[in-house]
Amino acid sequence: MKAILHLLEHDFRNFFRYKWWLAGLISMNLADLFIMAIVYNRMISDEVTQQIRSYFNFFAPGLAVTGLFASAFMIGREINMERRREVHHYMLSLPMTRMELAIGRVLSGGLRGMVYMLPLLLTCFLFLGFPTIWQLLLILAVLFLLAVGISGLSIAIAVSTSSLEKFITARGLVYYTLFFCSSVFYPLSLIQQLGRDGKFPMMLVTMAEVNPLSNASDMIRYFLLGYPPFHFTSIINVLVFSAIFTFGATFAYMKIIERK
Amino acid sequence: MNKLLLVVERDIRLFFQYKFLIILRAIWFISQIVLFGLIASRMISTDAVQDYFRYYVAGLSVMTLYSAAIFIGFDIYEEAEHGVFEYLLSLPVSRRQLVLGRSIGGGLRSFIYVGPLIGVSLYVIGSINPLSFLVSLFALFLFSFGVSGMSITIAVMIKSSDRFDILMGILDALIVRLSTAMYPLAVVQTANPLYGGVARFNPVTYVADLFRWGTGIEAIITLDNPLMPLLGIIAFFAFFTFVGVIIYDRRIEGGGWQ
Repeated sequence: MKAILHLLEHDFRNFFRYKWWLAGLISMNLADLFIMAIVYNRMISDEVTQQIRSYFNFFAPGLAVTGLFASAFMIGREINMERRREVHHYMLSLPMTRMELAIGRVLSGGLRGMVYMLPLLLTCFLFLGFPTIWQLLLILAVLFLLAVGISGLSIAIAVSTSSLEKFITARGLVYYTLFFCSSVFYPLSLIQQLGRDGKFPMMLVTMAEVNPLSNASDMIRYFLLGYPPFHFTSIINVLVFSAIFTFGATFAYMKIIERK
Repeated sequence: MNKLLLVVERDIRLFFQYKFLIILRAIWFISQIVLFGLIASRMISTDAVQDYFRYYVAGLSVMTLYSAAIFIGFDIYEEAEHGVFEYLLSLPVSRRQLVLGRSIGGGLRSFIYVGPLIGVSLYVIGSINPLSFLVSLFALFLFSFGVSGMSITIAVMIKSSDRFDILMGILDALIVRLSTAMYPLAVVQTANPLYGGVARFNPVTYVADLFRWGTGIEAIITLDNPLMPLLGIIAFFAFFTFVGVIIYDRRIEGGGWQ
């Protein structure tokens, strides 16, 4: 346990060393909200306006999830760099078990994601209103599970890719697939309608429905905006995603990092 | 001239070694059309854009070209990390030939990569106006060289892969979002006059508008006069190619790569 705490401290110190990164990530996220969402607000159809009222308000909870994803993914970039520069030999020589090392890295990636996401979530609350204390605790718990799952996913990719370019390309692919096939940018009902009309494969509709990014965004929306309907199954979806990638990444990190 | 061509050839050969990356980036493109393009077009009012799906697909080609041309900067960091830079500096090629060759190579390879994707987008968009399309293709070429030059210039100026990655992210966020790649200038202008002012003088706006104009489909054209954006692209290309040569020449030696 103490070893994991040391790892958390190590990764948090690294996190705050990357001031450039943090400033850059925040700028990118805010550009999405204050440029893209404002312009899209002027373009959405009357039918969609009736459902979501304002695109800016609709997108703000999605922004917190976007920020969480980007920052929790940062741990993968560091691990990829450690692998390329062979710093992982040093990490392996530390007096801790492989399991502690792997769990510590996954956990710190998730916690860093939470720390980064908090100002974005606060921005969202400032524009849309504050939830009750129980709703807030539930939002934080779900976002933490999501952050740990994303951190695990990024570590699994980081240890499987041998160059920065490959890591960045794989990150882009995961980003586009997970985000564009979710309700972060558009209402889930729109994707379901496309599926019913036969213009979108039902497999992708199902993927959007069980996507943890959709579940987390829609849960925040329900608490702050009163739509779309909230189901407890969405928490189970996030839990399953988190469990799969936490254990998957722990296993991959332990196995791949020892390879020559 | 022969040495310049050798540098260009090396960069193009290097690019085609990354088959895995080329395939992954092609999947990026298709997934954006199939996922974002299709779903977002359902969300957009036909009063704002008559056919948002085709409008977005045209803008996406430009965004993909931009991302592909930026990647030459990452190559430079990989080379610095593995000591290839010293090898390049020891070659009997002048510094100017080296940077000009790399800029042309970076632009050409991104164009070769995006070529088939542009073909896909033209298939989605529909027919083209051949003469206008040739002009817009020329603009895309210059834009691609200009972005490669910009990427090389920034990479050798900051010499830190972390800073480069994030700076490119910020630039991408601002340049693409404050352009007409995803929405027409009139809507950006109405949403916020400041955004409209920036979008009006953005090379991504110029090239996206020219590309849509080149398709000749009225439903997605929002450009009246193609001369101004064409001149804007030529200025962008000239600035980053020639300034890039000077900066690369001065900063390439002395190490300090992180």
